[in-house]
Amino acid sequence: MAKKNKPKSMETEENGGVEEEDPDFSDPEDFVDDISDEELLVDLLRQRPKETDGVESVIIVDGVPLVGAERLEKLKNVVRKQFREFGTIINEFYPTGKDGITKGYIFLEFKDRASAEEAVKQRNNHKLDKQHMFLCNLFTDFDKYENITEDFVPPAPQPYKDHGNLHYYLLDENCFDMFSIMYDGGTTTAIYLNSVPEAQEIENRERWTDTYVRWSPRGTYLATFHAKGIAFWGGEGFRQVQKFSHPGVQFFDFSPCEKYIVTFSPHVDQRAEEHQSVVIWDTRSGQKKRAFNAERPPLWPVFKWSNDDRYFARIGEDMLSVYETPSFGLLDKKSIKVNGIKDFSWSPTDNILAYWIAEDKDVPAKVTLVSVPSREEVRTKNLFNVADCKMHWQKCGDYLCVKVARYAKAKREKNEVKYSGIYYNFEIFHMREKGIPVDSLEIKENIQNFAWEPVNNKFGILSGESTSVNVTFFQVNKGQPPTELKKFEKRPCNSLFWSPQGQFVVLAGLRNLSGTLEFIDTKDFQVMQSAEHFMATDIEWDPTGRYVASCVSWWGHKVDNAYWLWSFQGKCLKKHTVERFCQLLWRPRPPSLLTAQDIKDIKKNMKKYSANFEVQDKMRFSKASREIIEKRQKLMSVFTEYRQRLLGPCNERKEERMQLRGGQDTDTLTSNENDFEEEIVEFLVKKEVVLVEE
Amino acid sequence: MKPIMLHGHERSITQIKFNREGDLLFSASKDPKPNVWYSINGERLGTFDGHSGTVWSLDVKWDTSLFVTGSADQTMRIWDVETGVSLECLEQKTSVRGVSFSYSGTMIAYTTDKMMGQNSELIIIDVREPNDIDGTPIMRTQVTPNNSKALSVLWGPLDEFVVTGHEDGSVIKWDMRTGKIMEIGQEHTKQIKDMQLSHDGMMLITASKDTTARLWDITDLEALKQYKTDRPVNSAAITPLVDKYPHVVMGGGQEAMDVTTTSSKIGKFDARFFHLVFEEEFARVKGHFGPINSICFHPNGRGYASGGEDGYIRVHVFDDSYYQFRFDF
Repeated sequence: MAKKNKPKSMETEENGGVEEEDPDFSDPEDFVDDISDEELLVDLLRQRPKETDGVESVIIVDGVPLVGAERLEKLKNVVRKQFREFGTIINEFYPTGKDGITKGYIFLEFKDRASAEEAVKQRNNHKLDKQHMFLCNLFTDFDKYENITEDFVPPAPQPYKDHGNLHYYLLDENCFDMFSIMYDGGTTTAIYLNSVPEAQEIENRERWTDTYVRWSPRGTYLATFHAKGIAFWGGEGFRQVQKFSHPGVQFFDFSPCEKYIVTFSPHVDQRAEEHQSVVIWDTRSGQKKRAFNAERPPLWPVFKWSNDDRYFARIGEDMLSVYETPSFGLLDKKSIKVNGIKDFSWSPTDNILAYWIAEDKDVPAKVTLVSVPSREEVRTKNLFNVADCKMHWQKCGDYLCVKVARYAKAKREKNEVKYSGIYYNFEIFHMREKGIPVDSLEIKENIQNFAWEPVNNKFGILSGESTSVNVTFFQVNKGQPPTELKKFEKRPCNSLFWSPQGQFVVLAGLRNLSGTLEFIDTKDFQVMQSAEHFMATDIEWDPTGRYVASCVSWWGHKVDNAYWLWSFQGKCLKKHTVERFCQLLWRPRPPSLLTAQDIKDIKKNMKKYSANFEVQDKMRFSKASREIIEKRQKLMSVFTEYRQRLLGPCNERKEERMQLRGGQDTDTLTSNENDFEEEIVEFLVKKEVVLVEE
Repeated sequence: MKPIMLHGHERSITQIKFNREGDLLFSASKDPKPNVWYSINGERLGTFDGHSGTVWSLDVKWDTSLFVTGSADQTMRIWDVETGVSLECLEQKTSVRGVSFSYSGTMIAYTTDKMMGQNSELIIIDVREPNDIDGTPIMRTQVTPNNSKALSVLWGPLDEFVVTGHEDGSVIKWDMRTGKIMEIGQEHTKQIKDMQLSHDGMMLITASKDTTARLWDITDLEALKQYKTDRPVNSAAITPLVDKYPHVVMGGGQEAMDVTTTSSKIGKFDARFFHLVFEEEFARVKGHFGPINSICFHPNGRGYASGGEDGYIRVHVFDDSYYQFRFDF
């Protein structure tokens, strides 16, 4: 006790020994409170319970089976089971008729509004059994729709805005392609027309986008990112044609036919009634179609689209959810249950999706092809000792290649499984043949890269260690393992890029492999050209397969930022050095409207057409060189005139000059030759060593 | 033709210059001994011993009697070319950056660094009596703080004005008598590394760290042409045969401090030839394995010399193809 008291006494001493008194908070006697509670306690009063509280958390469920009193308890259990997952049900009411039989509709009160809303959303039109379907509504909605005022005017339809021909660029009679470039570290975006012989700038805007730009898959729109959402630009002059307001948008994706887009933003608006981190929009109308919650950060893309925009799917725990458009509901109201699903992908041409499931104890891993919407399994393939699978569709949808990483040994350490002795199998699914036969190809080396020829039946593999890569090309055959066509050994490359039209391929050693480029014709596997674009970071084929761009992006390398354009044969056409150049993107083209027969006919008559094109090219080049020559002539005449003007005063002052240099004329090298002094400089012309005999 | 390689310096070359006749080539480097060479065979004639620091710049009088150097040892020395004897050593408060003989050779203009609380200055002294130089400025003007630090200095034709190149990329023309600014040329965005006159003294070429070189009219400092590269330009020169072969040559490359293990291919240490009027590049000469710090044409226009960060000087004589090449116009 003594110890405890001590500091207290010291404290009082420090305060000068004055005893502290509690202040008096009570009102003086004559005080009149002139502030009302409403003013003082705005925040608190708002939370004061009201009679109507809880109304918004009441829902009405219609379509409930009619039962008598004896089965009511059982019905209640069923209903509770159906609605329990959305939140605690704090009240329920089953109205009954005179005969004691329920009326078929019930009232449920949840603990809060959000649960009620979720319940309505999820269980409306939910099939309980064959005869009964729930029809759910918020209780407040009845009130709302009954009390629509007499003078309600339906909102006037938005006037139709004509954006002109969004495909005008396809009408270019020379069929030049467009590309966008970003430079100045991303602040400036420009659009060029890749015309011959010089690319023309079409548009150049500063701060067009906050982060980066993207073309839509068919090239109709250019999309830009902003803090408030996504904007679309198109038509002549790149006017804004659509915007999608999604604050803090980070990712977005087009559906293959450009009908819809998906956006993701981690930014959660607290005021919004529902969290909408992933939103699907209609491209043309700009309408929000459906919003989803996504765990953050999502594995992008959250949704994968079928080729015709009719379906989109996402992967969940042990299930695959396929949604259909334009209703944006779950296909058949049910997800597909797939235990242990790891990944899936859609065929680029058919409504078939492929997924694979991992090994589980004695059950082997499996790749399954499912037809949508029938959900029919069209092909399954069991695989053993699988560490990982990657699915690669050929662009025409003719083949699916599943790259299977297989292990010789698996070790279980804590929660992680460690694999050793990894080797690779390529499982090739022949999609166009009856029964979808599967061929297998085994590669012992480490796989660096794999790429299908976009058309036809070849694929290329980069394998081996990163220091010495072997490039192998295979051809897929009917009913037998793929045959090796050609192997290039020990190439300084790490990626391969097929021409969109097939046949031609660029092998590139990007980034740390100093940018070696090899242009190969896979018809005869001739290396057409070997070149280098030092420190190249990206290779981009134009959509027609006529040109290739090699880029050194500021994002990957800080100096010498440039893009070079090459012909498909590897001839360097133009080198553009651009300050802090970031990215080049070709404007995609929609699929050709020509039939296979048309294309065949054109190919047959190639000679006729090419003669025409050659004449055009020649004219363009001669025009260009004429322009250059004219420009030079002009420059030269301006300069000659300038020199003539200079010479006048220069000659006039010759006297002054001579005076300054003691009377010597030093205007030209030899003008004072007489004053030169001669000097002899010796040269060693030849050195000869001769051994003299003693 | 195979160039003559001159290797007499221990450190990187800072400036090289032919005398008026072109038989001698003077060179300065970051080591303290400037050299003089026979340009025809590359034989070293001698060294100028006396400095104790980097020699930033040099100039030689039109009759090759006097030679002047400015050094980081805070002195400017005037030498007798024939004997190599230091006639005068003028001590300054800071490093001497640029030096230049006037047309007549009776005056020297030089610039000093801004350092240790001292302002960068432009000073002109009288050297009419080589054996009795007292070093009292006949004109002295402060460059900083009103303008940025002066680096290189040149006399205009006829001893009337001097031109200085500055750290912020500006080019300033000064009245030699009053020290007042006559013109300012503000085109470059970064430091001026070198300035050279055309042989008739009517045009000026500047080399800048902003990766370009520019051609100017010396009378009104009007920018006439711009030559673009993708690396800092350390030096640029106009051929004396400008009316017959309107060419300029530029040297530079990736900066020394950025060059660590980069190969010469990436550093772009080539000498680059541009058409003076069309501003188009038409030839490159490889050789140095560091940036070129100084480049100049031989006074007869039949060759050029370059000095690099690698410590070498390369003296080139043009092949026939140089004279045969013509632009179409």
